[in-house]
Amino acid sequence: MKIFVCVKQIPDPNTVESKLDPATKRLVRTGVSLVLDPGDETTIAAAIKLRDSLGNSELTAISMGPASAQEALRRALAMGVDRAILISDSALAGSDVLGTARTLAAALKRENPDLIFCSTESTDGYTGMVPGAIAEFLGLPQLTFAREINVEGTKAVIKRVTQTGYEVVESPLPAVVTIASGSFEAIYPTMKGIMSARKKPFSQLSLSDLGLDPSQVGEAGAREQVLSIGKAEARAAGQIIKDEGNAAEIIADFLQRHQLL
Amino acid sequence: MDFSLTEEQKLIQQTVRQFVERELMPLEHEVLRNEGRYPTGIEPERYRALQLKAKELGFWGINTPEEYGGANLGSVMTALIQMELGRTIVPFSFGGSVDNILLHYSNEKQKQEYVIPVIEGKRISCFALTEPGAGSDPSAIRTTAVKDGNHWVINGQKVFITHGNEADFAMVFAVTDREKPPQRGGVTCFLVDRAMGWTSRPIPTMGGWSPAELFFDNVRVPEDHVLGEVGQGFSLGMQWIGQGRWLIAARAVGTAERLLQMAIDYARQRVTFGKPIAERQAIQWMLADSAVEIQATKWLTLHAAWKADQKQDNRYEASLAKLYGSNMVNRVVDRALQIHGGMGYTKELPIERWYRDVRVTRIYEGTDEIQHYIIARALLKGYVHLGTWD
Ligand SMILES: Cc1cc2nc3c(=O)[nH]c(=O)nc-3n(C[C@H](O)[C@H](O)[C@H](O)COP(=O)(O)OP(=O)(O)OC[C@H]3O[C@@H](n4cnc5c(N)ncnc54)[C@H](O)[C@@H]3O)c2cc1C
Repeated sequence: MKIFVCVKQIPDPNTVESKLDPATKRLVRTGVSLVLDPGDETTIAAAIKLRDSLGNSELTAISMGPASAQEALRRALAMGVDRAILISDSALAGSDVLGTARTLAAALKRENPDLIFCSTESTDGYTGMVPGAIAEFLGLPQLTFAREINVEGTKAVIKRVTQTGYEVVESPLPAVVTIASGSFEAIYPTMKGIMSARKKPFSQLSLSDLGLDPSQVGEAGAREQVLSIGKAEARAAGQIIKDEGNAAEIIADFLQRHQLL
Repeated sequence: MDFSLTEEQKLIQQTVRQFVERELMPLEHEVLRNEGRYPTGIEPERYRALQLKAKELGFWGINTPEEYGGANLGSVMTALIQMELGRTIVPFSFGGSVDNILLHYSNEKQKQEYVIPVIEGKRISCFALTEPGAGSDPSAIRTTAVKDGNHWVINGQKVFITHGNEADFAMVFAVTDREKPPQRGGVTCFLVDRAMGWTSRPIPTMGGWSPAELFFDNVRVPEDHVLGEVGQGFSLGMQWIGQGRWLIAARAVGTAERLLQMAIDYARQRVTFGKPIAERQAIQWMLADSAVEIQATKWLTLHAAWKADQKQDNRYEASLAKLYGSNMVNRVVDRALQIHGGMGYTKELPIERWYRDVRVTRIYEGTDEIQHYIIARALLKGYVHLGTWD
C-alpha cells in the first residue's frame, strides 16, 4: 500500500512563545527555532505502525513549507518514514487553508495514495481544516479522530474517539484519516534511522511541477482573511458565594445555567 | 569557519533531548527524594530498563567500537550527547560503554572476562588509583604487588574510588618495582575481582552519591590479570584520566544551560517592589555573565573533542575545557540559587542538589590547581605556541 502522512514544521512549542505579527496578523516563524510538529510525530508513529503491520507498504511524508522544512522531513525519515516530498515555492507564502490543501492535494494526486494520514490539527495554527479540505479536493472519504486504525481488505476501519468512548467507523480506500492527539505513543528516531535519513529518497517540488498557477495559492489565492487579532480575554475573577444557608442552591443554579448539570 | 551541526548531529541531539525531557526529567523529584539510596538515583532495575529502551533506539556504546555493538559516534558527538544528559539531575548515561584502557590494552581472555561483560552491563568496573597519600601526585602510591609463583600479592589501600562499592572488579594500580620510577616501569595495573578478596567501605560526601575506600590485604591475583604490560601502569592511569576531562566540561554545559533557563524563567515571574526582578541590573548581569561563560565552555569543549576526533593530542585543550567548565558550572549554580532566593535553597528544586554535586568537578580528574599547572607547563615549556591554530 502507498501510505502518506502530511506533516508540518512549526515554531518549537517547547521553547518559543508564539507571537503574532500585528502587520501581517500571522504567526512569527522567522528567527525562532523550528521543529517537526510534535502532534505530527504521533501521527507518524501511527502511520509507521500500520505500515509495519501491513507489510509490503511504503510510507511517504509530505510537507508544504519553506526550504527549512527539509529538516522536519529528515526527522520524519529518521523516525522510519521511507520517503519524503517537500513542496516549496516562494509563491506559496501566505497560503490559507484552501491554498495549503490545494497544494498538498495536487502533490498527493500524482502519487495515487491508498491512505493519507493527517494530524487532527497543527500545534501552531490549530485550524484543523486542512485534512478535510484535502479530502474534498481529492474526492475522498475522511475518517476523523482515529485512535486506532486498521486496513481490512479494501476498507479502512478506525476507532473514532467520542466524548464518552469510541465508535467504529469504516470507509473504502483510498481515504484521509486524521489521528486524535495523544492516541499513539510518540516514537524516537533510531540511530540507524538517523544515519540512513540522508540516503532515503527526498524530492522537492515547485508549483509548476504540480501544474498549479501562482494565483490559486499563497497570498494571491487566499480567501481567508484575518481581520483582527487580539489577546484572549483575561479570566475574570471568580464569584465568591458566602454560605447563608442557600449556597448549595446558588451553586446548583450556576451549574444548571451553564448546562453542566 | 563553519559552526553549524550536521544533519545527523542535530537529529541525534534532538533525540537525546527528547529522551531526557520525556524519560528522565519526570524522575527528578524521585531522584531528589531518594538521595543516597541508589547510585543510579532510581532503582537499578528501572535505570537498566531505561538504558535498554535507549539501546533499542541504537543509543548504546556511544563511544564503543562497532565490533562490540557500539555506535562509535566519535568525540564531538559524545560531547554533544553529554551536554544533553547534563540537563537533568538524574545521573543517567547510555549503556554499552567501557573504560578506554580496558578496551585498548586487554588480551583476548580479558576481553571475554571483563570488556564484553562491562559493555553488556553485567559487570561493573572501578578505577582505583588514588590513595590516602597519593591524589594529585599519583607517583606517590604505596600499594604494592609482589610476585609469588604465578600470582601477584597485593597489599594497600585506595580511597575516593567512584563505583568502588558497586563494582565487582577494580583496575588497581600498584608498585611492582621499587627500583624504577613510577612513570618509567615502577607501576602495574591489575584487574582484580572482588571475589579475590578486596573489601570496600563507602565514604559519605556532600554529593548525591559516595565513592569508596578499598582495602587490599594479601589479595592474590593470578598473573594473567595484569592489564597491558608489567610496568606500564602509570601510563595506563594517565590515559584513563585523559579520556574524561573534557567530558566533565560537556556535562557542565548542559547543567548550566538548564540552571540558567530556570533562573531566566524565575526572574521573569518573580516580582519585588512592583517589578519582575528580571528588570534589575543586578539580576541581568548574573544572567549575562552566565551566558558568556556557558558559551565559552561550549567551544572549549567542542574544540577539545574535535581534536580528539582528528587524532591530535588534546591534553592541553582538555585541561582548558575542564578547568574553565568546572568553575563555570559552580558559578552558574551559585547565581541560579541566588536568583531563586529562599526557593533556591529548598529541596523542592534541584538547584541545591546541583550546588553540592558540581563542587567535585573542581577536584576529581585533576584539581583546579593541577589543571593550572598542566596549562602553565605547556606554555612555559613551549608545547603550545600562542597565536597559532594547532
Ligand atoms: C567524589 C570523588 C570521586 C573520585 N573518584 C576517583 C576514582 O574513581 N578513582 C581514583 O583513583 N580517584 C578518584 N578520586 C580522587 C581524586 O582524583 C583526587 O581526590 C584528586 O586527584 C585530588 O587528590 P587529593 O584529594 O589527594 O588532594 P591533594 O592532592 O592532597 O591536594 C590537596 C590540595 O592541594 C592542591 N595541590 C596538590 N598538589 C599541588 C601542587 N603541586 N601545587 C599546587 N597545589 C597543589 C590540590 O589542588 C588541592 O587543592 C575521586 C575523588 C572524589 C572526591
